[in-house]
Amino acid sequence: MKRSSKHWITVILILSFLSVIFLIPTFAGDRLPEWWGKVFPRKGLRLGLDLKGGIYLLLGVRADKAIEHELANLKEDLVEKLNKEKILPKGFSSQDKTLTINFFSKEDLDKVRKDIEADYKDILEVEEKGLSLHLTLKDQYIKEVQRRAIDQVKQTIENRIDEFGVVEPSVQRVGTDRILVQVPGASRQDRERIINIIKRAAVLEFKIVKDAGPDKETLLKKYGVKSADELVSLGLELHPGDTGQENERYFITEHEAQVTGQYLSDARLIFDEYGRPAVGFSFRGEGAARFGKLTGENIGKRLAIVLDGVVKSAPVIQERISSQGRITGNFTLEEAKDLALVLRSGALPVPVDVEQEQTVGPSLGRDSIEKGKISMIVGGTAVVLFMMFFYKLQGVIANIALAFNMLFIMGFLSAFGVTLTLPGIAGLVLTLGMAVDGNIIIFERIKEELRAGKSPLAAIDAGYERSFWTVFDANITTLLTGLILFWFGTGPVKGFAVTLSIGIVSTIFSNVVVARVISDLIYAERRVEALSI
Amino acid sequence: MDLIKPDTHIDFVGKMKKAFFVSVILIIVGISSLIYHRGPNWGVEFVGGTEVHVKFERNVKPDEIRTVLASAGYPAESVQQLGLPQDNEYLIRFSPKVVAFEQIQGFQVKVEEIFKSIVPGSKGVDILRIDYIGPKVGRELIEKAIVSVLIGCVGILLYLMIRFEFDFALGAVIALIHDILITLGAISITNKEFTLTIIAALLTVVGYSVNDTIIIFDRIRENLKKTEKRDFKELVNESVNQTLSRTVLTVITVFFVLLALFFLGGSVIHDFAFTLIVGVIAGTYSSIFVATAFVIYLKGKKRVAARGV
Repeated sequence: MKRSSKHWITVILILSFLSVIFLIPTFAGDRLPEWWGKVFPRKGLRLGLDLKGGIYLLLGVRADKAIEHELANLKEDLVEKLNKEKILPKGFSSQDKTLTINFFSKEDLDKVRKDIEADYKDILEVEEKGLSLHLTLKDQYIKEVQRRAIDQVKQTIENRIDEFGVVEPSVQRVGTDRILVQVPGASRQDRERIINIIKRAAVLEFKIVKDAGPDKETLLKKYGVKSADELVSLGLELHPGDTGQENERYFITEHEAQVTGQYLSDARLIFDEYGRPAVGFSFRGEGAARFGKLTGENIGKRLAIVLDGVVKSAPVIQERISSQGRITGNFTLEEAKDLALVLRSGALPVPVDVEQEQTVGPSLGRDSIEKGKISMIVGGTAVVLFMMFFYKLQGVIANIALAFNMLFIMGFLSAFGVTLTLPGIAGLVLTLGMAVDGNIIIFERIKEELRAGKSPLAAIDAGYERSFWTVFDANITTLLTGLILFWFGTGPVKGFAVTLSIGIVSTIFSNVVVARVISDLIYAERRVEALSI
Repeated sequence: MDLIKPDTHIDFVGKMKKAFFVSVILIIVGISSLIYHRGPNWGVEFVGGTEVHVKFERNVKPDEIRTVLASAGYPAESVQQLGLPQDNEYLIRFSPKVVAFEQIQGFQVKVEEIFKSIVPGSKGVDILRIDYIGPKVGRELIEKAIVSVLIGCVGILLYLMIRFEFDFALGAVIALIHDILITLGAISITNKEFTLTIIAALLTVVGYSVNDTIIIFDRIRENLKKTEKRDFKELVNESVNQTLSRTVLTVITVFFVLLALFFLGGSVIHDFAFTLIVGVIAGTYSSIFVATAFVIYLKGKKRVAARGV
């Protein structure tokens, strides 16, 4: 036997051992003994959503909204600053990433320009045009803001989905501004709940009520303004109400919320005195202090509990409260539960849109796995029988190499936690058919060498040596397309790309190394008169 | 044992002209079908909208599905049978104008009722899958799909340029484009939905079709090294004959698994297998006739140029 073969035998044995170890959890499932997890990996092959059934949501994060918020905050800061300097600006306007301040006089402008430049030199480009200052957010800063917003959205959604209580949900970032949520096992009936939980902004604000009425126009007239936007300059804001009171369809509250949901320490499902579902919340630390101050200073007034811009209830403040409160409304049990959940996990800083959705029922996956298995068995058996019939002993060698090949591929897929999808299964079956290509190329070459008059062992040597680059070239192009598919594909197609690519690497190894080693083992110790090929 | 006698002398090169016409006709038929159908029948992932994958207990005519849906106020954009006829599975696509994202919840309840009116009973209808794709994702995917097929071709061209001469690389890529066009034509003629999975199959065809070509090119190169001064055409023909048995055998084993996938793999895999079957046939044919023909043509031109000037 060749010396080099000995090394390869060791490599093959180690690879086989590792593959088996990684594959055992896939087949044994929960029947694994306790100690297994301490020594060896527990996780086996994972099934994709198309095989397991569930909901797949691709969310587009509206990161551009983060810039709007940023400009709005900037404007509020500047208004305060100008107030201090006793400067009355002509007005503000904002577009894309630029906030413009218009002044009445050049003196006013000059007075603040330097300050603004110094205060915001890291985040703003300042440009003077006539009596206006154009403040543009720097691109670097915009990127930073958006990145932070997307991270926060991902974190929040993760918290929400985790609390929803399903097995192995996954929340991943895709590209720069997309988030992929996969909830295995969720059915069509859960769909709406899940989407509501994910999409809900859950911005909770506590504001003192100034006025309330049945329609918008009368309320606005009372304050001498034509539109809701004008109220803001008076420090007020208009909110629609959903309190169940016909004569209070709109509320006017203070513009600024002194306490928001970000200070909540907990939110949970409770029942009010009539036994209706409601959400109880509590504050701790700074939140409790702020809430105590807000309620203490406003006893006798009404406190609006504003959720996502809508007044949910507006109870009269009876006494100073600091740590506890509740939101009542016309909630069903499920709605109250979900609202508590989203309030606990925090608000979404920017909205998300569902860009793609897939709901797979449980029967599709079961059926697909079953059919995948059958086609693998039928296709595989056909290939194995053909090789045996056609190439006799060499065919058996190829088949053994094929068995190792499959073991390596499955082992690798398990080891790296690759998700097996339906097209992935198709990729595996396809690999079964393509894997013996290399063996055929080599065997046909060996036959040619025999016909050219070489001795059996010399023919084997020449066959393997001369075919190496052919096998390599032929496979590498398929690998290339596999890698491109991996880059391009999403979900199921990515699964196909992975199995195909891993399959090809393993196939080259099995063709030129495993088959060769087995061949050497068989022919090494005896004098070979004729090859069975 | 030999499937093909070792010393075949089939005159492939002599038949290349005829083969060329066959290819041209097939491609023209395919492109005509594409024009007639106004491009590929893009799947929901590319055009956006909502798609329902449904299985009925018994056979239902697509027209029957169309009619009940239309009368319920959900006109379908396309109704397509999926898999084998006995699977009774359909892919029904709705435009975003008919079913907006906000309406999906109500729609999915309604659509099950509508289908139950065709095939009643608890097992009469099984909604296997519902997909919604927004317009933004679709546009991006079409761009990405086209780019990835192009990158695939260019990547293979570059790799072959490194491993072989430019003439060979060009010949292989022309054969590749030939295979893609024929496969696209077959998908269009059978009016199959052009989905992401089909693109995956198409890219696999790209990779696999070069496979056969490389085996033949490899042999041409080897034979060129052995004997310098020979008629190139004759040398090519000999190389094709020498590798014929390999070419046929490797295709056979791949065909075994493709047929298994086509008939037994289930509805989702069915079209995928169909695409690969067409692609593998086209690929094998083109590596014998198209790729080599172009190499002969390109080499011939160079020789004429070298002699003439």
